[in-house]
Amino acid sequence: MRRWLTSQPIQQTVFLGPALLVYAVVMVVPFLLGLYYSFTNWNGVSSHIGWVQLQNYKTILTDDPDFGRSFWFTARFTVAVVAISNALGFAIAYLLSKPMKTRNVLRTVFFMPNVLGGLLLGFIWRFILTQSFPAIGQATGIGFFKLAWLSTEATAFWGLVIVSVWQGAGYLMVIYIAGLTNVPSDMLEAAAIDGATGWQILRTIILPLIMPAVTVCLFLSISWTFKSFDLNFSLTQGGPFKSSQSVAMNIYYEAFKNNRYGLGTAKAFIFFVVVTVITMVQVSITKKREVEM
Amino acid sequence: MNAKPYGWKLLASEIAVVLVAALFLAPFYFVVANSFKSFAELLADTSGLPKSLDWHNYARAWDVLKFPRALRNSIVITAFSDICMVVVSSLAAYRLLRYPSRTNRILFSLFIASMVVPFQTIMIPLVKVGNWLHFLNSLPGIIFCYTGLGASFTIFLYHGFMKSIPQEIEESALIDGCTPYGIFWRIVFPLLKSMTVTVVVLQSLWMWNDFLLPLLVLQKPQLQTIQLATNSLFGQYMQQWDLALAALVMGIAPILAFFLALQRHIIQGITAGAVKG
Amino acid sequence: MRKWISVLGAIAVSGSLMAGCGSKAEPGSGANAQANAAKGPDKPGKAVTIKIMNFKVEIAEQFNKLKEEYEKTHPGVKLQIDTVLGGDDYNTQLKARFASGEMPDIFNNEGYKQMDPWLEYLEDLSDQPWVKDEIAIAKEPMTRNGKVYGMPVGLEGLGFVYNKDMFAKAGITEPPKTLTQLEDAAKKLQAAGMQPFVNTFDNWFGLGFHAIDNAFAKQPDPNAFIKGLNDGSAKFTDNAIFKDWVHLFDLDIKYGNKNALTTDYNNATTMFATGKGAINQGGNWLQPVLDKLSPGMNVGIMPMPINDDEKMNDKLFVGPANNWVIYNKSPVKNEAKEFLNWLVSSEAGQKYLTKEFKFIPAFSNIKANPADIGPLSAAVQQYIDKGKVLGWHWAKFPDGAAQEFGASMQKYIAQKISSEQMLAEFQAAWDKMKSR
Repeated sequence: MRRWLTSQPIQQTVFLGPALLVYAVVMVVPFLLGLYYSFTNWNGVSSHIGWVQLQNYKTILTDDPDFGRSFWFTARFTVAVVAISNALGFAIAYLLSKPMKTRNVLRTVFFMPNVLGGLLLGFIWRFILTQSFPAIGQATGIGFFKLAWLSTEATAFWGLVIVSVWQGAGYLMVIYIAGLTNVPSDMLEAAAIDGATGWQILRTIILPLIMPAVTVCLFLSISWTFKSFDLNFSLTQGGPFKSSQSVAMNIYYEAFKNNRYGLGTAKAFIFFVVVTVITMVQVSITKKREVEM
Repeated sequence: MNAKPYGWKLLASEIAVVLVAALFLAPFYFVVANSFKSFAELLADTSGLPKSLDWHNYARAWDVLKFPRALRNSIVITAFSDICMVVVSSLAAYRLLRYPSRTNRILFSLFIASMVVPFQTIMIPLVKVGNWLHFLNSLPGIIFCYTGLGASFTIFLYHGFMKSIPQEIEESALIDGCTPYGIFWRIVFPLLKSMTVTVVVLQSLWMWNDFLLPLLVLQKPQLQTIQLATNSLFGQYMQQWDLALAALVMGIAPILAFFLALQRHIIQGITAGAVKG
Repeated sequence: MRKWISVLGAIAVSGSLMAGCGSKAEPGSGANAQANAAKGPDKPGKAVTIKIMNFKVEIAEQFNKLKEEYEKTHPGVKLQIDTVLGGDDYNTQLKARFASGEMPDIFNNEGYKQMDPWLEYLEDLSDQPWVKDEIAIAKEPMTRNGKVYGMPVGLEGLGFVYNKDMFAKAGITEPPKTLTQLEDAAKKLQAAGMQPFVNTFDNWFGLGFHAIDNAFAKQPDPNAFIKGLNDGSAKFTDNAIFKDWVHLFDLDIKYGNKNALTTDYNNATTMFATGKGAINQGGNWLQPVLDKLSPGMNVGIMPMPINDDEKMNDKLFVGPANNWVIYNKSPVKNEAKEFLNWLVSSEAGQKYLTKEFKFIPAFSNIKANPADIGPLSAAVQQYIDKGKVLGWHWAKFPDGAAQEFGASMQKYIAQKISSEQMLAEFQAAWDKMKSR
């Protein structure tokens, strides 16, 4: 009995079974169902679902410059947010790993933007960017605050980047802190005694040792930023003139607003493939640089 | 980490970090300060401190949101989803890591790949599936959804974390006559505690703030979460920032308190060196 | 800490049990729902519930009062009113409810092309007693192949809402009826140190629905024009009305507020209500908002002239705000019909429509008291009574075209493209969207 209970198939079932069950019902089946719709002209409600083979994919690839534009926007946006929020998140984590008097409080402070989420985040920042910034600009005369926030392509883009970094940096900071605590302090002390400068220590010891954290942070920030929806929806509504429309938003509009559910899911599937490829490339590159401890 | 004395260099960087932190806090100032202002005062001056602490906005928001009910729903959903997610995903992550058969490696990549699926892609099919299996319009139903939607990320976190747990302990326990299940539950799971706290905090933040899933899955008013209630208030009283901001503060206060309470444990877990590399 | 973890573990076990039985216990409630459905409307004794999905958040509170009154006078019938934010959320959620088998019995539809996806699920209401009293412009959107599928919620008028006190202060005695007069008025306002227009250019629907409707509605035959666009015989680019319409748009931009591209609906309304601008493109739907922000404000509504043809321009754009439709597979569709009928034919129902909801009635047999519906609606009512109205046409656009129009107009406002390019982009958007 005991041998049967501990046999590999039973172990596989006990450990993995529950996860696979929920995962299959909530993710896999809906995903496959969505994939099926991407080959149809379904409008989201009709009882007639027409099979159109690859027509939707052809339309997207040959006759939808808007989708291409939203992809290009999302790519630029992702590069900016991933670079800045990781740099900032790591810098804060690094500084907070030093014995500062306020570090416990500061960790909390930097993480706090994460308690604001979703649509409300955008509503609040809209208020700040369009109401408070001009007020600050008038009081201080600093040109940065006097810009026409959100009403030009550039300010809409950077407005979104600022809010995303504001929210994401603290999250990444937590992961970097966890990575930094794994760096043995005797190693750092030894290096310091040998006369290595702070920069050298950072580059040659710390960075290689925290590569697992870098892998995780890059992966998370890339996949989240690429999927960005709520913020664009509530902060800029994709404007001005659709210049800040993310791919997820483009898909949402196509599927629900334009009643072209089939076309929308086809877009979503193309999007999924692209994001998967990008993150796989990223993970395989950073994984190679990880050092086993 | 390093035990150097507190020098001027450190002081300078501390001051710099404190300044950046102040910038990070600024938006909270705008929200909280303006939530106490009357509508006229808010229109006239959005950046100053309120002239007096007026709780009137909060009293009204409390009623409009039906706050006690929404709070209860949000807490039930978040707490039970956390628990299910932690159990289900830690079990799975353990097996995927310790028994890396071909199938399991494929399964792991599948879990990870699904982290990049945009929710908008699956939301309508998910509702259809929910209708077939009857898990719509109930708290257990949405908890089931969250467990599935959050499984990938949680498995991902545990999987990474477990790599740093030395296998020797498990091997010796096996020799002592523990079953694999006993090993997991009595030895491995307790070692995961700092990651468990992290998982609970991160996933709670996500679920607390999530809007689309409850919008789709919970259609009965008595099941309304804080996010749904706040959003409909924002729609209905959109012009009234005074009321909307007060509602917002009320909505984030519980999760903020929760985070601050567990924050100590996260730092404890990390600094106590729960993970010895 | 260890204690804490073990507590969590204990809860975890019970939690996973609960999740397990949770998903199994559900079929019970599903069976209940089916039992309800099977019972049908005629079985006496047991109360039936009509589920209504309301799109208008402004009337949510009043609707609850109506519910109480209706339930009192109609024993055995319960109303369940769900108010969902209009626009994108409403459509998404309606689709989600449809997919989940929880369709409301009464919901909203804008008509024309928006009716296409839902048509097979809509109950034919042609035989209802109120159909004969419907005003023609209100009837058209929900009529398909001679059948009527919806009941107009109420009428709404679109135009330039203006601040009468500010106009008087600037010495404008009569609201302008031509483009030249409008420019004069703007100049006078500016000379008196006041901001003429408050524009909200940040969202696509104010532009791609409302602003552009002007040029569609003033075509000699709007429906023929739209048909021409669809079969390629008409073009935006060589259309005289559209070229005139650009002049109004130019005027609007020239005398408008700064940063109009980020001025959203709320900001603009607040600015207008607090006297920071004299003219705002809008309609009588602004009345409840203005009542909240600036009670007793002296406002009027005037036409939006695109040239100097007074006869053509002295008209408002009027259409049904939205329509009530009934799900044709609803088990309580007879009760739902009765409810809609009660709303427009009983005294109590009519009282709610005009006094509480402040709708401009879409039926010739209902008369609204100007004091009840407010100055803006009363003014719109006058235009309707005189027949000085043009229609709403945006629901006839191909899906997605309005967003494209809005984006092109924003580009024009930001001076990224010329007016010829803007019209060419309209054309391209229409051609692209109609073919999908």
